[in-house]
Amino acid sequence: MNDSALLQDAARRVFLDFYESDRLQSARQQGWSAELWSALEETGMSLISVPEAAGGSGGSVVEAAEVLRLAGKYCASVPLAETALLAGWALAGVGIDVPRGPLAFRIIESPDPLQLRRRDNAWRLSGTVENVPWARHASAVVLIASFGAESKVVCAPKSAYRVLPHANLAGEARDCVVFDEATIEDTQIAGATASITADKALQRGALARAVQMDGALERVLELTAAYAKQRVQFGRPIIKFQAVQQELARLAGEAAIAKASAMAAAAAVMSDDRSALAVAYAKVKVGEAAQSGAGIGHQLHGAIGVTDEYLLHHSTLRLWAWRSEYGSEAYWADRLGGHAMSRGGAAMWEEITGSAADAR
Amino acid sequence: MLFDNTDFTSLELPSHVVRLRREVRDFLEAERRQGSFQVHLGHGEFDAAFSRKVGARGWIGITWPRKYGGHEGSYLERFVVTEELLAAAAPVSAHWVADRQSGPSLLRWGTEAQRQKYLPAIAKGECYFAIGMSEPNSGSDLASVKTRAERVAGGWKLTGQKVWTSWAHKAHAMFVLCRTSPLGENRHEGLSQFIVDLPAPGITIRPIRFLNNEHHFNEVFFDEAFVPDEMVLGEIGQGWKQVTSELALERSGPERYMNTLPLLLAMIDRAGPTADRMARLTIGNLLARFAGIRTMSLAIATEFSKETTPNLATEAALVKDIGTHFEREVTEAAKMLFDATPATDTQDELERLLGEATIFAPISTIRGGTTQVLRGIVAKRLEASL
Repeated sequence: MNDSALLQDAARRVFLDFYESDRLQSARQQGWSAELWSALEETGMSLISVPEAAGGSGGSVVEAAEVLRLAGKYCASVPLAETALLAGWALAGVGIDVPRGPLAFRIIESPDPLQLRRRDNAWRLSGTVENVPWARHASAVVLIASFGAESKVVCAPKSAYRVLPHANLAGEARDCVVFDEATIEDTQIAGATASITADKALQRGALARAVQMDGALERVLELTAAYAKQRVQFGRPIIKFQAVQQELARLAGEAAIAKASAMAAAAAVMSDDRSALAVAYAKVKVGEAAQSGAGIGHQLHGAIGVTDEYLLHHSTLRLWAWRSEYGSEAYWADRLGGHAMSRGGAAMWEEITGSAADAR
Repeated sequence: MLFDNTDFTSLELPSHVVRLRREVRDFLEAERRQGSFQVHLGHGEFDAAFSRKVGARGWIGITWPRKYGGHEGSYLERFVVTEELLAAAAPVSAHWVADRQSGPSLLRWGTEAQRQKYLPAIAKGECYFAIGMSEPNSGSDLASVKTRAERVAGGWKLTGQKVWTSWAHKAHAMFVLCRTSPLGENRHEGLSQFIVDLPAPGITIRPIRFLNNEHHFNEVFFDEAFVPDEMVLGEIGQGWKQVTSELALERSGPERYMNTLPLLLAMIDRAGPTADRMARLTIGNLLARFAGIRTMSLAIATEFSKETTPNLATEAALVKDIGTHFEREVTEAAKMLFDATPATDTQDELERLLGEATIFAPISTIRGGTTQVLRGIVAKRLEASL
């Protein structure tokens, strides 16, 4: 086995330990799985792709994506994407120490809900930010936000804010965070750079959700194929019916194109080559695949799939929730279409094939 | 379950392949400017002069050995040449079948004499093939073909009928799938392939007009047509294995999802920089689907460039299924976005492309494996992998 296969194998073992009904239910009530997070910290996977010099575990964006797709596949309720691919990346990139523990991350673009002021030789942060993934469980909330004309990365420690708990469809913490004249030390704030920007952060977030959805779709396919093979109606396993086979094949098609799109985007983000385009393709296509894939999965499972004790809904609820996070399909398709129309057909073909001199 | 060992993260094309793409694009641009061809969807016209030019450039038989007129290039080179020809909707019908199907079969199963006879001429863009598989009562169920070959002194006598045979009236030769022993318990046994030069005694070719009233399909009748032993392709009795062996690359290629791409590019131009939100969303969606399909197709071509026969036949079936449906989504979107009227007799380029795409839409999900057959293949693989 090569390094990447070993890593995936190790990750799969960790995630599988927590992939059972009781633990998933409990994570849904808590808004996360604290024990799974501890297991990831012990193996060093919680800071994958964050440079070792910044206290991370090293590794590439593609390796992080491979671990994240397994996290998605096994319904891991942990801030892995936010801690490693987003907060860890942003803090290391602007030279702020990466704090220990799980990190929340939020991109804030205008209209700006936050005010940052200088008072008594310190920064003071005020305002309310909604929909902050994992905030109630995080040791710090990391923001990339525009304050007037300036874009800054801020690392706000737990003591700087209070949290009103909210959750997405799957019960994952998506909290409201309130800053009330919170003091931010000078060492915890830095200007964004050419490579650490709000848009790059959005691309990474969208990539994370795309690979997580790709993993979740793979699980929906496995569960559905296995169920269709085992479930007997009219005297035979339902997988023997052509009508069922046709739908199963469509589900396999959605899972396959999701994987291709998501992993191609991971490569583009890693090499920083046409990454906005690749992420837009992936978030739109994987989101669409999530919708039709989850639908087919439920249809072929019949009523068992919508019951609490069966595992399918943990995957499908996540698919429905993740579609909207870090830019919905509507956001990315609009942006992608707008870009194409500003370029024109011939130039767009050059970009698709990677042969446009100015697209690099 | 599918694509388990396929790497989607290392699909960067080597620089010589990128340069090749530029050459093909420049050639096509120059040809179009000189008016050597008009853009037509559905693999375009049968244009022997154009095919000879493509052959002279070295873009037919790209992966074949040099001693047969090939260029010993990679499957990635073939991939970009195919992409550019389709994006330009160039008239490739004349050499298309010989380059994609007959040539590779001759290389794999043909005798030295057969290869010498056909391959260099195919690579020059001078020799064209037809494929005789379907019959009036054998479409998806190819093992049920009834055209039979009987043993006679020095060869075989073919009797029966093939149908929907593209360009048989212009091709120089044709592959014919026949029964050489009666249908037994194993339906895939007893099939054999023969090569016949056209025209030939005992072979009658009659036009079947396509639904746009044009002639590219034919019915081909065999009335005790003699085929000498040296024109048996591969082994007697191995016809099934031979015809199905090339499907992985064939079903996953750009020709399965790019036939309406010129329409999509025209839609982008028509919508323009001031496009409204509906146009942006619709076209963004189509581009995302296209990119995903292309990634799968390119990944399969990349696997073929590493080894000759990776086991990706099921994945290829899946690409064809998704790809052919994508082609149709483009057509539908054009109608909705621009309230355009599909037409063949119009000066409006977009409406003409839309007309051609509309007319060709029914075939793509039928030829090379119907949607229903392909989905059956995928489902059986899923069942077997559990």
